[in-house]
Amino acid sequence: MRQKVLEILSDIRPDIDFETATGLVTNKELASFDIISIVGELGDEFDIDISPKELVAENFDSLEAIVCLVERLINE
Amino acid sequence: MEKNVLEWLEINSENENIVYKDEFKTISFKEVYELSRRIGSALKTVKDNSPIAIISSRNISTIYAYLGIVYSGHAYAPIDGDLPRKRIELIIEMLQPSAIVCDCVNFNLAKELSDNVYLIDDLVRYEIDEQFLVSVRKKMVMTDPLYIIFTSGSTGRPKGVITSHQSLMCYINSYIEVMDIDRTDVLGNQSPLDYIAAIRDIYIPLNTGCSTVIIPKELFMQPDRLFEYMNDKEVTAVGWSVSALSVPVSLGAFKDIELKHLKKICFSGSVMPIEVLRLWQDHLPNAVFVNQYGPTEATASCTYYIVDHKVTQGEQLLIGTPYNNYKVFLLNEDLSETNVGEIGEICISGPILALGYYNDKERTDSSFILNPNVSSYSERMYRTGDFGRINENGLLEFHGRMDRQIKHMGHRVELDEIEYAANTIEGLYECVALYDKNKEVIHLFYSGDVDKRTIAIALRESLPGFMIPRKIRKIDSIPKLANGKMDMNRLKEEL
Repeated sequence: MRQKVLEILSDIRPDIDFETATGLVTNKELASFDIISIVGELGDEFDIDISPKELVAENFDSLEAIVCLVERLINE
Repeated sequence: MEKNVLEWLEINSENENIVYKDEFKTISFKEVYELSRRIGSALKTVKDNSPIAIISSRNISTIYAYLGIVYSGHAYAPIDGDLPRKRIELIIEMLQPSAIVCDCVNFNLAKELSDNVYLIDDLVRYEIDEQFLVSVRKKMVMTDPLYIIFTSGSTGRPKGVITSHQSLMCYINSYIEVMDIDRTDVLGNQSPLDYIAAIRDIYIPLNTGCSTVIIPKELFMQPDRLFEYMNDKEVTAVGWSVSALSVPVSLGAFKDIELKHLKKICFSGSVMPIEVLRLWQDHLPNAVFVNQYGPTEATASCTYYIVDHKVTQGEQLLIGTPYNNYKVFLLNEDLSETNVGEIGEICISGPILALGYYNDKERTDSSFILNPNVSSYSERMYRTGDFGRINENGLLEFHGRMDRQIKHMGHRVELDEIEYAANTIEGLYECVALYDKNKEVIHLFYSGDVDKRTIAIALRESLPGFMIPRKIRKIDSIPKLANGKMDMNRLKEEL
């Protein structure tokens, strides 16, 4: 699953090395239209619904954070 | 008669109310008056009349530094320090500024670009030179340039649109009237401060005595937090790009939180999706919604439409009637006047026309021309490149673009400029940039011996983030028409 998330992220922003990047939202690495694409693609791929409550910087600041979020939503 | 926008600040010189607020600081009218006059006095050492560039960040010091430059008798050219290095270099090269003003964050960058660099934090410590400030104002006229704002240009060179004090004041006065803004309002700023839409958030408070809150950029991707922030700051009025209203909606805004204070909403920059507007109307039934249309070249706008009904699916939102002091008319391709009810190019004249593109006579002369239908005297006009039609009620409809310019996330983007930048990348043979309007995604198809990661990185060195294609796809060769031109329609099918 981690690999699939990484693929989705890298496809949207090939210039970012998501294996090492942190502070993606906090440091404004990602723009709001990246987040829209990411939320859309993660939703389709894993059949999850990412609600606005989850759309906070902490959940999107790194690959690990996004993977955690997806795992949690799959299990809910 | 008002001659200089600084007069608005001066009316408030003793006003101790808050005028601007950012995440960390607040500042009163009186303090802005004091600090900007200090900055203006300090800049008297800049003898050259050319504009002063300002490279700075999203906070209140940027605003009083703009006003300080105006006090010194110079026009300011705002540049967001977050723009790619190459683009900043290109702007500086076109501008040939007399000096660069910057904040600490951008000091090293500014130093590399100019020998004449001033730090905002140093300038505010300078003593006010009353005599100098008075002498500057005596020499100024209302048609003097106030600022130069750069927008996307199709040849890879951005265009510096020059706006005068007079134009700015005409627009702000008309906008305040339409939106019914008064001193009790709190404006929520979304636009980057170097971008045209920010002029409202900067200058409306000076005119009306209201205040502006600069909303942190990262909140726009966290809808609940954005709304909490706006409720907390009691934001009552916004002038946002369409995408700033649609992004929170596509991220599920309004599910958990309502906006408690917002009641005046103006949107502009691109065509508003009806679904998005309907949702906003559902949640803010007592708010006024205004659709604004117009280019930077006519001081941010030219027409407005107050949405006086609940919108319904399939409806085409009107762009309405001209603002006060804007003359708007339609011309055919041969520049003759269109007949009643026909589609034509939207053209503008009046005191709100920009003075032209800075240091760019060629592009100025092709876009700003004399109205051929006025023969007894000279009337300057601007061709927007947009199609429009005046309906049976005398209201203007929008009918799209004539060229390859698109509106993406509230920004004006020339697809040619993306291709121009991509074509400089080593190993890339040919490319086509296309826009998927429904999904709001810019695509780049290319052929060549280079991977997409390299292209994305290279583009980020020269183009602002919003111009970078989010879908980059390598194909064996770009399909061609019989005449050798690229077959855009075949590629569009691939989107």
